[in-house]
Amino acid sequence: MLDVGRHPNVNILAYSEVESLKGDIGNFTATVRKKARYVDEDICNACGDCLVKCPVKKIPDDFDMGLKNRKAVYQYFSQGIPAVMTIDPDNCIYLKKGKCGVCKTKCVKGAIDYEQKDKILELDVGAVIVATGLDVFDPTPLTQYGYGKMKNVITGLEYERLINATGPTGGNLLRPSDGEMAHKVAYVQCVGSRDFNYCNYCSSVCCMYAIKDAMLGREHEPDSESYIFHTDFRNVGKWFQKYEIRGKEEYGINYIRGRVADITEDENQNPILWYEDTETREVKSLNVEMAVLSTAAMAAKGSSELAKKLGVNLSEHGFVAAGLPYPSDTNVPGIFACGFCIGPADIPESVAQASAAANRAAEVVFLGEKKKTA
Amino acid sequence: MTIDAVIKKTNAHYCLECGICTGSCPISRINPKYSPRLFVEKSLLISEEELIRDDDLWTCLTCGACSARCPSLVDYNDFMFQMRQLAIEIDNRGVCTHAGTIQAVSALQTKKFVKKDLSWIPKELKTKQKGDVLFFVGCTPYYQIIFDNIKADSLNASKSTIKILNKFGIEPVVSQDERCCGHDSYWTGELEKFKTLAKSNLEMIKNSGAKQVIFSCAEGYSTFKTLYPQFFGKLKFDVLHISQFIAEKLDSEEITFNEANEKITFHDPCRLGRFEKEFDAPRKVLSVIPGLEILEMERNRENGMCCGSSTWMNCTQVNKKIQVDRLKEAEKTGASTLVTACPKCKIHLNCTMNDNGFDFKIKIKDLATLVAEAI
Repeated sequence: MLDVGRHPNVNILAYSEVESLKGDIGNFTATVRKKARYVDEDICNACGDCLVKCPVKKIPDDFDMGLKNRKAVYQYFSQGIPAVMTIDPDNCIYLKKGKCGVCKTKCVKGAIDYEQKDKILELDVGAVIVATGLDVFDPTPLTQYGYGKMKNVITGLEYERLINATGPTGGNLLRPSDGEMAHKVAYVQCVGSRDFNYCNYCSSVCCMYAIKDAMLGREHEPDSESYIFHTDFRNVGKWFQKYEIRGKEEYGINYIRGRVADITEDENQNPILWYEDTETREVKSLNVEMAVLSTAAMAAKGSSELAKKLGVNLSEHGFVAAGLPYPSDTNVPGIFACGFCIGPADIPESVAQASAAANRAAEVVFLGEKKKTA
Repeated sequence: MTIDAVIKKTNAHYCLECGICTGSCPISRINPKYSPRLFVEKSLLISEEELIRDDDLWTCLTCGACSARCPSLVDYNDFMFQMRQLAIEIDNRGVCTHAGTIQAVSALQTKKFVKKDLSWIPKELKTKQKGDVLFFVGCTPYYQIIFDNIKADSLNASKSTIKILNKFGIEPVVSQDERCCGHDSYWTGELEKFKTLAKSNLEMIKNSGAKQVIFSCAEGYSTFKTLYPQFFGKLKFDVLHISQFIAEKLDSEEITFNEANEKITFHDPCRLGRFEKEFDAPRKVLSVIPGLEILEMERNRENGMCCGSSTWMNCTQVNKKIQVDRLKEAEKTGASTLVTACPKCKIHLNCTMNDNGFDFKIKIKDLATLVAEAI
C-alpha cells in the first residue's frame, strides 16, 4: 500500500465516490466526488494534535468494529493512505452548529478548513478496474447464536481487532463482558455461509483465518485452549492443508466436525456451545470464555449501486459478473474486476486476479487494442 | 411416494452432514441414539424396506427445530411425514399414549357422526349456529374429561375464547358438526383419515357461512392454515389464532384490561411459532395487559423448545426430561406463570408437573384464559 502511495504515476483518490461513468473502452469519462475532509490533505501530517481536545468522543469506531470510540476528527486507520485526518460532518459540532473550532486552534500547521466543499472531478480514463472487496454478513438473524445479546459472542472481524496491537485492547484478548483475558475460545465456522437461508456459497477464507486466529490466540496466551467447529475444512491452496495440520500438532487447536446448533450462556456470561460431534455421534455442550463467529463474506455494500453506474452485470449473489473471455473481464469492454468483488477469493488469488486485471487494462491504455478486449 | 421421490422432495440429498439438526434436536440432546442427521443419511444408504421398519420414525416430535436451522433446507418434518405414510403400510406404528383413547376419538369422527355436545358452553356466553365468525373448538371437550386427573382444565381456554369474542361484540358460530382437525392423523402418516376429517370440516364451515375461523389451539390453526390448502386449494375463509385476532383488534379498537400483576413467561408452541412464524402476536397481546411482566426464557421464539410430546405417541422418559428441563427454564426466569397458546403444550407440561418427585411452583395458563381474566 505504501508503495502505491509513493508511486509517481499513481493518484489515490481515497474518501471519494464514482458518481457516473460515460463513454466507452479507451475513452471513458468518470465523474468522481471527492468528499470534503475539512482538512487540507497537502498540509496535514496526521500528527493527531487536532483530536486530543475534540469534545465529541463517543462515536463508534467503524474500523475497530465499534469496540472503541473515536472522535469527530479522526483517522480511519493508522496505516491508511493518504495519512491524513478527516472531520466527520455528521458529528462535528462546528460543522453542525458553527460553534467549537477546538481542532482548528490546536492544529499548528493550519490544516483544518471548515469551508472545504466536496470536489467533483472529471477524469479521462481508458479503462476501469472494479475492486470494491467485501462486507461481512451480520449474524444477528441467526438468533440461535445470540450475537448482539451475549457480549462474549463476537465476530471474526471483531476478534481480529481485539488481538491486534493497534486495536481497542492493545492486542490483549480481553472479553467484552468483563475485560478478563479469554483463555478458552471457540471458533464457529460457516455462520451464514454454505447456508441456503443466507449465503449459499462457501466464503472460502474463513477456515484459514479461523486457524490463523486460533494460532494467534495461542501465541498470545500459550496455556489457552481453542476449538474450531467446522462443517468440513475447505483449505484449498498451496500449503494450506499443512497449515491446518500445524494448527493441530504445534498449537494444539481442537478441531471438531459439526456445526454449532446454538449458544446459551451461563451465569458468568460464558458462552455454552451445543453441538453434535459428527465423528463420535454425540450431542455435547462446551463452556468457553469467548465464542468467535466466522461470518460469511458478501459483496460490498453499495456494489449494486456502483454496478448500475458502470453498467456492469452482477451475478446471483450480488458479486460483479466477470470471467469471459478472460477472468477479469466484465460485460462492459474496458471495465475489469478483480478480488472479492467478483466472488470469494483469498489474498493470493486476489493478487493474481489484480495482476490479470491490470494487464487487461494496460492492453487497452497502451496498445489501444479495442478489438482484443471487445 | 417412493423413497427416492421423498429424498428429492424434502431436499434430503442436499444434506451436508453438518450435524446442526442433531445438535438442535430436543430428543438427541437426551437420547443420543436418535439423530435426525443419521436418519437422513440412512435414507440415502439403506433400502426402503429396512428404513421404514425403523422405530426411530416415531421418536421425532416434528417440532421443526432441526429444519429451522438446516443450511440445506432439508424439510425433516415432511421427510418424517412421508416415511410414516410408508411405515404404516407395513404396520410399523408408534406407541399410543393414554391407551389410544385420543386416536380412537379422532378415528370415530371419520365415521357417521353424532352431533357434538355443546352443553359445556356457559349460559352467559353467546354463540350461534350461522354467522360470519366461527370458533373452531377442537379437541378440548374430550381433553377436559381425559385429563381431568392432571387438572389440565382444557375447556377453560375454549370458554375464554368465546368470552373474548363476545367482549369484542362477536357471537361466534360454534358448530355441532365440527370434527377433529386431523392434525394428529396427518403427522402419524394417516393421510386418508386426515383428508376425510378435513373435507367434513370444510363442508361444515361452508354451511355455517363463516368468513373467518378462529382457533384457540395452535395445532388446529396451523393445520387449517398450511395443510388444508395443500390438499383442497385456497381456503374461502380467513384463519386466525385467537392471539392474532386480539392483536389485530388492538390496532383498531381501544380496549382496557384489568390490572393483572403477574410475572409470566411465554412458551411458543411449535405450530404457532416455528410452523406459522407467529411470534409477535401473543407477545403483543400479553404486553398490553397492565401489570403483566413478560420474562423471556433462554430458548424463545424460533429457538423455543418443544413441550416434549406430540401426536399422543411414544412418550418416554426422554420426553419427560425435555418437559422437566423446559419447566426449570421457565422457573429460572422468575415468572410465576408459564403462558402458552396450545392446549397440548398445557397438557404435556401439566402432566410432568403432576408427576411425583417434582416440586414445580410455576403455574401453566393458556393465553386465552389469561386475557379473559383481564376483561
